[in-house]
Amino acid sequence: MSPHLEVVANESVATITVAALSKRFPNGTLAVDDVSFTVPEGRVVGLLGLSGSGKSTLMRLINGLHTPTSGTVNALGVDVGLAKPAELRELRRHMGFIFQQFGLVGRATCLENVLIGSLGRLRGPRLGLRTYPKALRIMALERLDRVGLGAQAFQRAETLSGGQMQRVAIARSLMQEPKVLLADEPVASLDPESSNQVLDLISTIAREDGMTVLCSLHQVELAIGRTDRLIGLRDGKIVLDQMTTGINPDVVMDLYRRHGTSDVVREATYA
Amino acid sequence: MTSTVQAQRTTPALTPLYFLKIASVLAGLVAVWWAWNRLNMSVLSFFDDLQNVVNLFKRMYPPKFSDTDRIISLTLETLWIALLGTFGAVVLSYPLAVGAAANTTKHPLIRFGCRSIITLTRAVPELILAAIFVVAYGPGPFCGILALALHSIGMIGKLFSDAIEEANEVSGDAVTSVGATRRQRIRSAVIPQALPSFIATALFRLEINIRGSAVLGLVGAGGIGVLISESLETIQYKPALAAVVVVFVVILIVEVVSTSIRQSLIGEAATQQQNKQRGWLAIFINRRDASLNKTAYEKRSITPPWTTERVFRSSAFIFFSVLLFFGISTVNIEWGYAVQNTHKMGTVLRQMFPPGAGGESSLLIRGLVESLAISIVATFLGVLVALPLGVLMARNINVRRFFSLGTRIGVLALRGIPELIIAVIFVSAMGLGPVPGTLALSVTVAVFAAKLFADSLEEVNPAPREAVTAVGASKIQEFFSAVVPQFVSPFVSNLFYLLDVFFRSSTVLGIVGGGGIGYLLIQSIKVYQFKITMAIVISIYLIVLVIEWLGLGMRRLFK
Repeated sequence: MSPHLEVVANESVATITVAALSKRFPNGTLAVDDVSFTVPEGRVVGLLGLSGSGKSTLMRLINGLHTPTSGTVNALGVDVGLAKPAELRELRRHMGFIFQQFGLVGRATCLENVLIGSLGRLRGPRLGLRTYPKALRIMALERLDRVGLGAQAFQRAETLSGGQMQRVAIARSLMQEPKVLLADEPVASLDPESSNQVLDLISTIAREDGMTVLCSLHQVELAIGRTDRLIGLRDGKIVLDQMTTGINPDVVMDLYRRHGTSDVVREATYA
Repeated sequence: MTSTVQAQRTTPALTPLYFLKIASVLAGLVAVWWAWNRLNMSVLSFFDDLQNVVNLFKRMYPPKFSDTDRIISLTLETLWIALLGTFGAVVLSYPLAVGAAANTTKHPLIRFGCRSIITLTRAVPELILAAIFVVAYGPGPFCGILALALHSIGMIGKLFSDAIEEANEVSGDAVTSVGATRRQRIRSAVIPQALPSFIATALFRLEINIRGSAVLGLVGAGGIGVLISESLETIQYKPALAAVVVVFVVILIVEVVSTSIRQSLIGEAATQQQNKQRGWLAIFINRRDASLNKTAYEKRSITPPWTTERVFRSSAFIFFSVLLFFGISTVNIEWGYAVQNTHKMGTVLRQMFPPGAGGESSLLIRGLVESLAISIVATFLGVLVALPLGVLMARNINVRRFFSLGTRIGVLALRGIPELIIAVIFVSAMGLGPVPGTLALSVTVAVFAAKLFADSLEEVNPAPREAVTAVGASKIQEFFSAVVPQFVSPFVSNLFYLLDVFFRSSTVLGIVGGGGIGYLLIQSIKVYQFKITMAIVISIYLIVLVIEWLGLGMRRLFK
């Protein structure tokens, strides 16, 4: 629990508003089912749930990588579902996105990967470090310093460890100077030590820059202490939405019980 | 009662699938028997044929390097044709590949269009393309370059688009998520990932095109091939052998250089891991790179330091640029004249439609059937030789190192000789007809297939082999019980790949008098009967489609 976040959070301004949002994939899967919630500016919200509960789809709906089947997503005042391609790109410029699999270009240097974060405000395609303006390159080096990887600037991204790769990805998001950071399972592929490092980095940066963060996680204990609100998903539906302070861990753990097993467990207990 | 139950259990039941397998093997043997008789092949005459080839080589030996200036200039021309043709194909293939790949092009019609162009360019043999261009532009290396550039799109475009589709999608999504456009996404995430594969493909095609450009001279499209056909036609055997030797050596050198670059590219990740421990050079390079990176960081540099890799990359780039510049400026082409004559190409194209046999339909069918027979017999004979060679070559099969290495070197060396050059020699030794053509093609099939089989054998799963060895089996028992069963499925798929590749080859053997449809094909071009040319090309394409379709079915059956 970070007390600073309470100060930054401004309850009156909604950064992300999701209303009656559903997403059905062409194969028939209903990944997100009638979901509604609002994230005020400066809040750090944890998104919990089993794999396949719809967390990733929800994240991707918010920055327009998926289009909703029904319902609306409003992010930073833009209706994501209705936005034209150019409007969507403009919106994405202000929203960082962290992927579980990092999304780095392995063969490119770390500096080049960070510079990708500036593509939204550049015209035309870029290939190679020297196709980026000098000022942006200096800025990218500073971002790498901020995540503690300045010395690895000219190393290929594929030579780094998982935790380091995720930090480069964070630096890439910082390059966007985002107002919102969407982190989709940022530590699911990392060992416990790197996980803590990466999450601490995200929460420190969020606090310092006053970013609104939506971060999906697998493990409850990682969310507690770093987020100020928890939203739980199960089969695409919201089954939990509470402030993190004073939350009952058992309530949260219930999210992770599979339908069948939980019933069986109850029956066994009461028999 | 008990005995019948046991009898049932000791032989597999004749399920429809099993019956189909047996039937298809029998059908294959019948096809070989039919083709064999169709060509009037006979095992006994092999010895005469062999004697004839040996006699020819006796007359050819020693090679006479008389007109050295001409040999050198034609050799260089061969290199330039291959280089410029490959470069042209790369330039043309890049947009087509981006258009054909599912992750870079969403519109299905554009994708279908690009894919069709890629497939169609491969359907026409490069020699036929070259012959058509010679009619339009007049003889010269320009026709060769154009033919190689167009024909190579088929392979380069296909492999480029495969490489693009293999690119990691998350990296692409990451680029999109920062607000980048589709073009920025392609350039920043997709192309960097596909680049090593692009370069490897281009180099591989360069090797193939050098072999191709060595025979372009047979139809007047430039290069050293003209020297071989000229000398043989005027019965000057010693200079002919000299030209063959030069071709052989040039191809070998290019292949060795290109293979080593390709392997260092593809095995990059592996070598980086190895560099960490092995070799004083690797240690030196790593130390140097690390200190360069450190200095760069201390100076807050925003341009990458000159690490060994960057030096290597930049010098390779400069080397190829210089080579390309030299090629364009030295090759004997009047570019302006070539451009002026482009309208003639339009005339030729118009004359191709509507395609039709033009009263030669019986010749056309006979030629196609003969080509098919040639490719079946050549594949059969070649595979017969290639199987033991492949076993000898495979590194994971335990034979004497001496044999293994010897076969490997022999096969790799022979692999460089274009089949048409072997065909030219065999035809001069045995006379015109499908038999020398078939035998020449068999040699090429044998060396080509030996490499394929060796590669498949090396991919065999070692676990069952250990299990069989563990029960006390001998090496030969282990080979037949653990290796052969695993080899059946890749063998079947290789077999149809070979038939596909060498049916295409068999259609041009006729250019040098080696039988098949090639004779009618080249004559139709020479007498401006382009309708017939087109009819033949379409027929060849249809037969190739049938072979591919059969191969697909067989692959599924023997999975």
